[in-house]
Amino acid sequence: MKNVITGKSRINANKLDEVMAMLSERTRSFRFVHDLERFTVAAIELLLKDAGIPVPAGTKDIALYLGIDNAVEDIKNEFWGNIVKDGILGASPLLFPFTSPNALAAQATIVLDIRGESIVSPVKSSIDSVIAYADECMSENYISMAIAGGIISPDVKSDERAPDYQADFFFIENPESARNRDARIYGSVQEVCA
Amino acid sequence: MRENIVITGIGILSPLRPFEGTGSFWQALCSGEDTIKIMKPPFLDLGKWPMAAIDTGAFPEQINMEDKIGFLAQEAMKMAIADSGLDMTSILNECKAGLTLGTVLGNILYKEARTISPDLTKGGNNRVEDITGYDDSLSGIASGLALKHGLNGPVFTVSTACASGTDAVGIACRKIISGRADIMFAGGMDILSDFAIAGFNSLQAITTDKVRPFDRNRNGLALGEGAAFMVLESEKNALRRKAEIYGRVIGYAARSDANHLTGPHRDGRGLASAIQAAISDAQIPNNRIDYINAHGTGTPYNDLMETKALKSAFGDLAYDIPVSSTKSMLGHSFGAAGVIEAICCLLAIKDGIIPPTINYHDKDPECDLNYTPNVAVEKSVRTSMSMSAGFGGQNSVILLAAP
Repeated sequence: MKNVITGKSRINANKLDEVMAMLSERTRSFRFVHDLERFTVAAIELLLKDAGIPVPAGTKDIALYLGIDNAVEDIKNEFWGNIVKDGILGASPLLFPFTSPNALAAQATIVLDIRGESIVSPVKSSIDSVIAYADECMSENYISMAIAGGIISPDVKSDERAPDYQADFFFIENPESARNRDARIYGSVQEVCA
Repeated sequence: MRENIVITGIGILSPLRPFEGTGSFWQALCSGEDTIKIMKPPFLDLGKWPMAAIDTGAFPEQINMEDKIGFLAQEAMKMAIADSGLDMTSILNECKAGLTLGTVLGNILYKEARTISPDLTKGGNNRVEDITGYDDSLSGIASGLALKHGLNGPVFTVSTACASGTDAVGIACRKIISGRADIMFAGGMDILSDFAIAGFNSLQAITTDKVRPFDRNRNGLALGEGAAFMVLESEKNALRRKAEIYGRVIGYAARSDANHLTGPHRDGRGLASAIQAAISDAQIPNNRIDYINAHGTGTPYNDLMETKALKSAFGDLAYDIPVSSTKSMLGHSFGAAGVIEAICCLLAIKDGIIPPTINYHDKDPECDLNYTPNVAVEKSVRTSMSMSAGFGGQNSVILLAAP
């Protein structure tokens, strides 16, 4: 039986402030360090809301598969630039954890209390491959519900404003799980994510 | 019935006897050889730090600093292929072969080198491209290796902090089980860098002493580097080609702490959950585990968390299972660590020797398990477990068993 999509979210970084107003008090009051983590958490909370999953989730039944392309390189460049400029004391302990690509997914697991497996693939155009992997894991019964998607960097950056990243996420579920909780079904993974 | 996954080749390049073969590595590890020295980072004047480095003088040929990790990954994969007896030309006509690679920082030295020498631009260094076709993207080396070997199966780069290597092995197994591949090369790699030294120092995570996992006086980790690969294949494929089988991967699971970005959950909630899930995946009882290779970084919080997780997952049985931290000798090589440690588990099964945790002298009343202090122990090992934990509350566990 084909796995199905029961939630979708897509946001752009330049609309983040509008989106934040729609999120839970838990997320709005969380102390974020970097805009990209706020952006990622916002996109995933919107996804959970669309899928009808309460926040915080508080479960290990939901897994998270995140694809991230060059966005993490922007954070790394900022961290590294400070070291080149100021030496060892230029290294920011607040920024350093975000140089690891999994940090964005990790913040989502922390804020939204998602305790299942969390896998991050730092590859250009990796959204397709993490969705495919989530689908495979579900078909083999390792998981029953998954958040899969990623952050896409704009091709060209404006010098005048922050890069307009785009987040695209899908909530993937096995059909039985979706039926049991009476979830809205957008279609099969292949139909929706093609 | 699920496909059995077997390991038919291993390749490891670490600070311990690099380029001298796996046997030499294992012998030195079981002798408790410490590779951690006080050194300078590669490019910038950031002071001296305890590190486990692969001396550039040990390389079989002269290597530019920014080519080091690509070369290590390439050579470790080559070792694993040679060890497996695979004929890459013929096997790709018969099988789907793919690759997973775990890394945290990829070729970070390429980024650093470009700061020092701005002329070293992406695509402008023929030597780099000759080795693996990579650039400074995190996925570049996996893509380069896949291209070099003409792989026709899935290629997946995974970056789950210090659990990356373990996840690379787990994902590779799943790719075979799901039928996406018959053979997977599962690797892990990372390199010492100014970037990592400055970062871990900013978190006050680097030891000012020796690395003393589970010891009462432990006060931090030492960074390491390396690359390691395993050849994984379906048992039927291995039997068909009459390959020598080191052992089997029988279980894998990953779980999130959902707790803190840099610190582990104090009670080891996520790791205990991952252990239980991996054992459940393997469909074996708890009392079948003969050896545990711990994440064992030597930081106060990690080692206590791991101890609590083991007690939570195994109950009183935790006191009977030998545990050791090979990071006490090799340092912490991030993305490479999970694969190196899985190979240690495999060699423990093969040779019936449990490597020690060195620099262990004062017992911590809260870390009261059997950590195999200072001296290797001979013991028949049929099933072993390797645990990894990383920033962001990543926890991954892999179970290996005798053929």
